[in-house]
Amino acid sequence: MSTKLLLPNRYKKFGWFILVPSCIAGLVLRYYDFDANWMHASVFAFASDGFPGNPTYFGFIDTNITNTVIGSLFILGAMLVGFSKEKNEDEFIAELRLSSLLWAVCVSYLLLLLAFLFVYGTPFFDVMVYNMFTVLIIFIVRFNFILYRNAKTVPDEK
Amino acid sequence: MLKPFLMKNNIKIERAIKGLTQEDLANKVSVSRQTINAMEANKYVPSTVLALKIARVFGKPVEEIFILEKND
Repeated sequence: MSTKLLLPNRYKKFGWFILVPSCIAGLVLRYYDFDANWMHASVFAFASDGFPGNPTYFGFIDTNITNTVIGSLFILGAMLVGFSKEKNEDEFIAELRLSSLLWAVCVSYLLLLLAFLFVYGTPFFDVMVYNMFTVLIIFIVRFNFILYRNAKTVPDEK
Repeated sequence: MLKPFLMKNNIKIERAIKGLTQEDLANKVSVSRQTINAMEANKYVPSTVLALKIARVFGKPVEEIFILEKND
């Protein structure tokens, strides 16, 4: 795999520093349903239904940006973690990266298929929220798990 | 890459003969230690370039280190 698309290794640690807090914040946000009141801002929107007001297209709207900020940080962090080179990026790691991406897309869509078949009504909204992030999450977990397992399975004899 | 394998290798044995650790060999052929580990566990088939590099470290022809299994 061409490693030209990958960031230098130092961005990986930086990514974890963004990913972990935003992941925790995202879960808290989901289950306690908080919208930080101070996080109101005027932002540029391509489209907004503006409920209960009028819809806006390509204009500024006033809204709570808690979701926006945490979601964006999560994606940014996950991309930095997932698409930075390892310290020792080589052919095995490149192949593992590709196979993990394939695996992540497959598993993610299988989960979505299950959800389509067995989740109806409002709970499906939750499915859509999680599905936005599952590809990146599954990719990162699987890639790092196998790297970790490979680093320790055969204890190195001197 | 985690499927069962049709190719075996003697990397571990050759490494023992030369008194090299996985880390030493990894450095000599400039790959990660995980790659050597995965090859020894038959979980990864190296590229031709890497196989040739490893053979050169051990001073033997590639066929003596990487062996096709009969059930191929």
